Amino acid sequence: MTQDQQSAEAIGPGPEAWRTALTRFVTFIPHTRELGLEVIGVVPPEVTMRLPWRDELLGDTSRGLVHGGVLTMLLDTVCGSAVLCGLPSPEVCPTLDLRVDHYRPAVAGLPIMASARVLSVTESVVFTEGTLWQDPERPVARGIANFMRLGPRNTPPGFSEALFSGTNDGANGHG
Amino acid sequence: MVDDFHDAAWLEKTRAEGDVAAWLARVPYARFIDVSASPDTEGDGMVFHLEPQAHNIGNILLPAIHGGVVAAFMETAGTLDLMLAARAPRLPRIVDFSIDYLRAARAIPTHARCSLLREGRRMANVQVTAWQAREEEPIATARLHFVLSASS
Repeated sequence: MTQDQQSAEAIGPGPEAWRTALTRFVTFIPHTRELGLEVIGVVPPEVTMRLPWRDELLGDTSRGLVHGGVLTMLLDTVCGSAVLCGLPSPEVCPTLDLRVDHYRPAVAGLPIMASARVLSVTESVVFTEGTLWQDPERPVARGIANFMRLGPRNTPPGFSEALFSGTNDGANGHG
Repeated sequence: MVDDFHDAAWLEKTRAEGDVAAWLARVPYARFIDVSASPDTEGDGMVFHLEPQAHNIGNILLPAIHGGVVAAFMETAGTLDLMLAARAPRLPRIVDFSIDYLRAARAIPTHARCSLLREGRRMANVQVTAWQAREEEPIATARLHFVLSASS
């Protein structure tokens, strides 16, 4: 275990506890549950996910290209998940804005990998950045997403406990 | 290739007929999130619609539509509206997309209207506004840049 992981462990849940918690999070979100989104790894404040292939992700059937909106949805989700592990304790943070740069189309038949990390946290905003790829050497898209901090007061009681304990009351995704 | 976006004759015919439904039927993710379109009663373009399907929800407590699904809806609307409004039948390729979320999208139908702000020889800029109960209270605005290629 690296120094970084040790210090993350000292102040909060470790990578495996986070992976379980964020798996729970994306499973509570009906859209990502339906699509079978998986959490591959979490090293706070960075999260990696995998969207398995299915034909509903297509935008251009004859050329076998993924719908650009799938990539936006995935970046919103992975950046929003990074927010949870980038805060002192998980808060419900709606997306304020999101910008996606499309470097090349994602293609049919392969899972889409997504990773995101928190770049900065202020009193009212969490700044994040995410990347998508199918081949790690060739990123498909990059996203910048900013999230509003509503503060612990507007986070449902038991949100953090629900993420980490396995009872799912309260930990119910983001809008 | 027949009845497909890459069939120039089909693209031109469906465009002339304003048959956006035929286009939507060939976009699997747009079908999955349940996007439709109808003629704009207040103008000569289209109004796009997103149904609040259970699998479009992102927050089950509010409940609210997933912000990423709203974005995908607005991107679909912007793309198809551009294909209809452009000077010639061409297939747009998205370059970048930016969305500002103004209000939570409740689990009710969402609508969107688009404006083609610039159509150059190679690039287009499209603005999209989405609303739910009242158009005066938009839930999100988005803008998209596209590269325009000749239909082939």
